[in-house]
Amino acid sequence: MPDDGKYDDDTTKFVTVPTYDVHIQLRKSFIMKIKSNALSEKLKVLLFIAPLLIPLFAFWIVPFGWSIYISFTDWDYISPEYSYVGLENYQYMFEDSYFMDALNNTFVFALGVVIPTVVLGLAFALLLHKNFRGSQLYRAVIFSPWITPTVAVSIVWSWVFETKSGLANLLLGKLGFEPIPWLESGDTAMIVVIIVTVWQAVGWTMLFFISALNKIPESLYEASLIDGCSPWTRFIKITLPLISPTTFFLIIVNMINAVQAFDQFQILTQGGPSGSTRTLLYLFYQQAFEQYDMGPAAATSLIILLITGVLTLVNTEMGKRWIYY
Amino acid sequence: MTTRSIDLPLANDQTGKHKKTIAVQVSTANIPAKAVLKPTGLALLKHGFLTISGLIMVFPFVWMLSGSMKSNDEIFSNPLNILPEQFRWETFVETFNSAPFGLYIMNSFTVALFTTLIVMINSAMFAYAITQFKFKSQTALYFVVMACYMLPGAVTYIPSYITLANMGLLDSHTGLIISNAASVFGVFYLRQVFLKVHPSLIEAARIDGAGEVKILWAIVLPQCKAALATLFLITFITNYNSYMWPSLLITSQDLNLIATGIRQFFIAEGNYGLNWSQIMAASTIAVLPLLILFIICQKTILSGIADNGVKE
Repeated sequence: MPDDGKYDDDTTKFVTVPTYDVHIQLRKSFIMKIKSNALSEKLKVLLFIAPLLIPLFAFWIVPFGWSIYISFTDWDYISPEYSYVGLENYQYMFEDSYFMDALNNTFVFALGVVIPTVVLGLAFALLLHKNFRGSQLYRAVIFSPWITPTVAVSIVWSWVFETKSGLANLLLGKLGFEPIPWLESGDTAMIVVIIVTVWQAVGWTMLFFISALNKIPESLYEASLIDGCSPWTRFIKITLPLISPTTFFLIIVNMINAVQAFDQFQILTQGGPSGSTRTLLYLFYQQAFEQYDMGPAAATSLIILLITGVLTLVNTEMGKRWIYY
Repeated sequence: MTTRSIDLPLANDQTGKHKKTIAVQVSTANIPAKAVLKPTGLALLKHGFLTISGLIMVFPFVWMLSGSMKSNDEIFSNPLNILPEQFRWETFVETFNSAPFGLYIMNSFTVALFTTLIVMINSAMFAYAITQFKFKSQTALYFVVMACYMLPGAVTYIPSYITLANMGLLDSHTGLIISNAASVFGVFYLRQVFLKVHPSLIEAARIDGAGEVKILWAIVLPQCKAALATLFLITFITNYNSYMWPSLLITSQDLNLIATGIRQFFIAEGNYGLNWSQIMAASTIAVLPLLILFIICQKTILSGIADNGVKE
């Protein structure tokens, strides 16, 4: 039995009683060390996270709160005075035909972009996920539009769809059709913007599908081959369920991107003709930076946030539930 | 092994021959004529489909190049020629003279480069902190950052604009760079990459007494060079191409980025609908540097996205 110890009365366990002087000294220095360690640990963490958090707070988080505040006012940017109007900006929205049309256009555009992008992206990925001679070249070619500035390529597309001398109408003319006023008519202008957006987004979507397809274990396919499944059954029963988390992710991400699309609208249609391609983001731009109605603009931007927020939450929730069958 | 394969035919020639014939029979039985034909037929179909799709994807670029080489007269008289009657390289000279596109490209390049460098550094440090340190509110912090991912730029534009105005940084590249200095995507991407770095490496370095900055710089970062290259390229390209926010901030012509500059040229008096040849030359000037960058770095970009698949 050690000398400087005794049985504790309450717990009946053997505890060492420190020889007073030495042990207290040791203990003190130990606590000091922990304290200074904890301090330097905190400083270290701060040093590592501050470079990101400072701009994040200054240009993301604080502006977010500030936007909520502005959305309750009638501030016009130029005059220093403004008044608090409560929920008026939000109430007015639902009576405002501009807003309701923009909301509708946003959904039409998002669906019009997402469905072809995901279907085409998956089709290309199915053809290209295995390496063969030339597969890298095809991938690069299909992906290349994503690399280029949307403004510049939209200008090229605006020439292709120009009514008088555009390539699209010239080809239609050769086939004996009447020219279509692509960008000057409400029905077709949206289609043109959708075509341009899909063209740019499809390669990115394809790469994600390739990544998902290559993660499917080969053994599953071998088993299905032995069972004599047709390629179509194999696709429906094995491939599609196994890549469904990726599919879902890509649907949501493409939707979020579509809700936030601006460049191609600015070049191709500027929201026109007569508001038929004015999405919520474009409405926000016009309210804030053309009419200087900061209150309603901030309210519009928060509705955009609501849409992307709901989509993101649905994405994470479904992601949790759907990952791996 | 070697002795056996030499011995066997010598010892029993008959069986050796017999085996050979079986082997031949098996191999032919495995590939019936139909199966040989079917895959090549399918492969042809596949290549045909992919070639046509590929041509459609690159066609706008071809059309842009071809348009920039034609004269405006040719564009209106023979609009369907893909190859111009004569290659007019001088269009590019004229275009460079009518607006400072060289300057715009330099501006875009500088802004994108500095933004990307800052983003790489602060994302790497942040990702390192949340993957390698243990501290309270670690998860909460990560969620705050990730929540910013769903914040549309539009929500932050008005207040950020006012903030920059108060700092006197409107219409300046510094304002543009610092307002883009936090990248949620960067944190998201690097966190996944850093989680794959083996903890024993970092543990060993700590025991050796290396400081955290040194561990990050000398141990962690060299482990994920490919991912860093991908992140660098993606961030650079996004910033180089960005249009909406810079077009709101920058008002002086000589500070314009390429996307804003080319739009101004596009809508300028006397250009729209009339001067397609120079407009296409301007588009080419904007697009070509990126296409060249992509051709050089396509492997990094494509495999970086396809392998790390920014998911999970």
